Amino acid sequence: MMKSYFDDLVSGIEARLAEDPENRSPRKVYALEVARLGQRLYGETESVAWCGVTAPFDLLAAMGVTSCFVEFVGAMLAATGMEGAFLEEAEHAGYGGDTCGYHRAVLGAARKDLMPVPDFLIATSSPCTGGLAVMENLARHFEKDLFVLNVPQEASDAGVRYLADQIRDMAAFVADHTGQRLDPARLRQAIDNTNRARTLLEEAYQLAQHVPSPVTGRMMGNFGVVMALLLGTEAAVTVARTYRDAFARRVEKGEGGLARENLRLLWIQNRIQFKNPLIEMLEKDFGAVVVADELNAITWEAIDPDDPYEGLARRAISIPFNGQGRRRVDHLQKMAASFKVNGAINPCNWGCRQGTGARGLIGEGLKAVGVPVLNLEVDCIDSRNFAEGQLRTRLEAFAEMIAGRPSPWH
Amino acid sequence: MSSSTRGRIGFSCAYTPLPAIAAAGFVPHRILPLSASPDQAGRYLHDNLCPHVKRLVDRAMDDDLPPMAGMVVVNSCDAMRRLADAWRHVRPKEPVFLLDLPATGDAAAVAFFATEIERLAQALDEWGGRALETGALKHAADRYNQLGALFATLRQQMVQGRLPGGRSRLQVLYNRATEMGPAAAADMLAAELDATGQDCGGDGVPIYLFGNVLADPEAFALIEAGGARVVGDDFCTGSRLFSPVEISGGGEGFKGLARSLLKRPPCARTFMADKPGALVDHVLAGAAASAARGVIGHTLKFCDPYLARLPIVRDALRDAGIPLLLLEGDCSLGSIGQQRTRIEAFIEMLR
Repeated sequence: MMKSYFDDLVSGIEARLAEDPENRSPRKVYALEVARLGQRLYGETESVAWCGVTAPFDLLAAMGVTSCFVEFVGAMLAATGMEGAFLEEAEHAGYGGDTCGYHRAVLGAARKDLMPVPDFLIATSSPCTGGLAVMENLARHFEKDLFVLNVPQEASDAGVRYLADQIRDMAAFVADHTGQRLDPARLRQAIDNTNRARTLLEEAYQLAQHVPSPVTGRMMGNFGVVMALLLGTEAAVTVARTYRDAFARRVEKGEGGLARENLRLLWIQNRIQFKNPLIEMLEKDFGAVVVADELNAITWEAIDPDDPYEGLARRAISIPFNGQGRRRVDHLQKMAASFKVNGAINPCNWGCRQGTGARGLIGEGLKAVGVPVLNLEVDCIDSRNFAEGQLRTRLEAFAEMIAGRPSPWH
Repeated sequence: MSSSTRGRIGFSCAYTPLPAIAAAGFVPHRILPLSASPDQAGRYLHDNLCPHVKRLVDRAMDDDLPPMAGMVVVNSCDAMRRLADAWRHVRPKEPVFLLDLPATGDAAAVAFFATEIERLAQALDEWGGRALETGALKHAADRYNQLGALFATLRQQMVQGRLPGGRSRLQVLYNRATEMGPAAAADMLAAELDATGQDCGGDGVPIYLFGNVLADPEAFALIEAGGARVVGDDFCTGSRLFSPVEISGGGEGFKGLARSLLKRPPCARTFMADKPGALVDHVLAGAAASAARGVIGHTLKFCDPYLARLPIVRDALRDAGIPLLLLEGDCSLGSIGQQRTRIEAFIEMLR
């Protein structure tokens, strides 16, 4: 079922891109590469690893392994409106509704044989303990070997060394399972691709800060977190360049993503993954554009292609969800300033302890720089209890409120 | 400076290296989620966060704490990390140390955790403590091992029906011991042992308990009043904190302590990569070793590490033919009181 879904998706997007090859939509180019990743995951021809969010996907790509964090499956099921049956499957098995919807959907999908059986699993202790637990459960379910990357909270010398050594051990673990040693030339090429993509992404994000912003609310949804899956490949470079070039053209012409940009918003954590009209409503009714997403940011330095392990470790440690809440608040404050946002929206994903746990501190931190925050009570995966009317009313009130205030950046 | 004048160091997790704190001259003081402080933590923490953590923040916001020289929070789970964030916010004048804890117990994890304990030792030094030496650390570990042995004797007496007050009384002692230094706690337990040993009778159904945080002695009293005789248990707020610590000489102090802590009976957040789901075996072994007729699991709401593993524990106990009752609490007696009927029915079924 999933294989044919991704096959159809790939051919459909390819056809649409071929219609106007000179003016390729960056979002479609991105969607094509994500669909191709799905094709490989379900293709039953390549080594597959289910992973945690901060696994080094470029290193795995260099070793010929198609890898993906499991939350991707939860988001995909929600985006296609299929999550309900899988959430129910997990709930019937005892995984309660207070747990993360992403993880419940994944466990349901595994139990209903919707997830390809991996060759092995790579768990990461960051960003969340729930994610680590689901990887342990999946390893038990699939009866496949599990490797755990303990991601330290801080980039101390000892912490970086510890994680770098683990990544080296991980490479040996992968080689043992695929029968293929890590080729230093392939690794160097993968890291080079990562660094090229990194530079292009950094440029794209800087262009997105322009007033008016070249982005639309849908264009950047889930972008940064999913791009991590493409790192190390030429596809990552292609996607990043397409975004950078499209933004550069718009900025040069003085065009915004929206014809009329009135309000600029920062979206905290992840998007609501199932179909919903909220982003369009904000744009259409208020000229309010989500110009920045928390994870659409480069928080790491370029990686040394000749000795990448320390750089890979630093990158994993650097994500805003890792470490102390203060670091995350600092990151959000910097984003709010550089994107000149009028307000921030925090969809407090029910079941996400690491993300929503600190919502009060995040609210205070952004308020301190003049940016009001709207906390939404929502499960970003489970549409069964989606209170669209209630959320719409709250978003409308929030947009009206910030429209009546001067921008904190003038 | 005597240890008593260096002050108290707060902690909240069974992975806290208590010997390191005691050896630095401080009194480790567990901040228990037992308080009449009003609910205020929601100002900083989401409603769906661990009630244990929120009760501790309630206490901090209400200033329902003894004077403390600092707070040590272990990065054992997302909720504990948020506790460190909130603690810094509500008690800005009090230093907070976030101790990083690997999820696994392999050799590399032990080595890293040892460097973290060493970093803690440096912080304790800066907070006015003694510089740590292996000799002092070993001495403190010996004290805690002595305490652990006394608790083991008390547990044995409880199982034999010779501890007046049963598991509820034992919890009173656990709670007191976690709020004082090891020497004072050992004195307290020795005095308690002098007063025990008489047959208290009791024909309750032998039950094994497991879970995360259950600190209220009244909760155990309620379970025992329902007809249970607790013959074994494993809680963060119970025996787990007093399992043996092995520290050899030769500069291996921190590493020995790290190894001992990571080898402790595991909280669900710690696991072995080569044996996923090992918590199941631990619960099964505990139930079997104590010849329990049934198992009661008590976990707190919103605890991801346990919520994610309870289904496989339930399946394994069912396959082993061991009845299981799962209870969910929120650190209030009311939450377990509401489940009195379920507890009584479960025990009745086992008779």
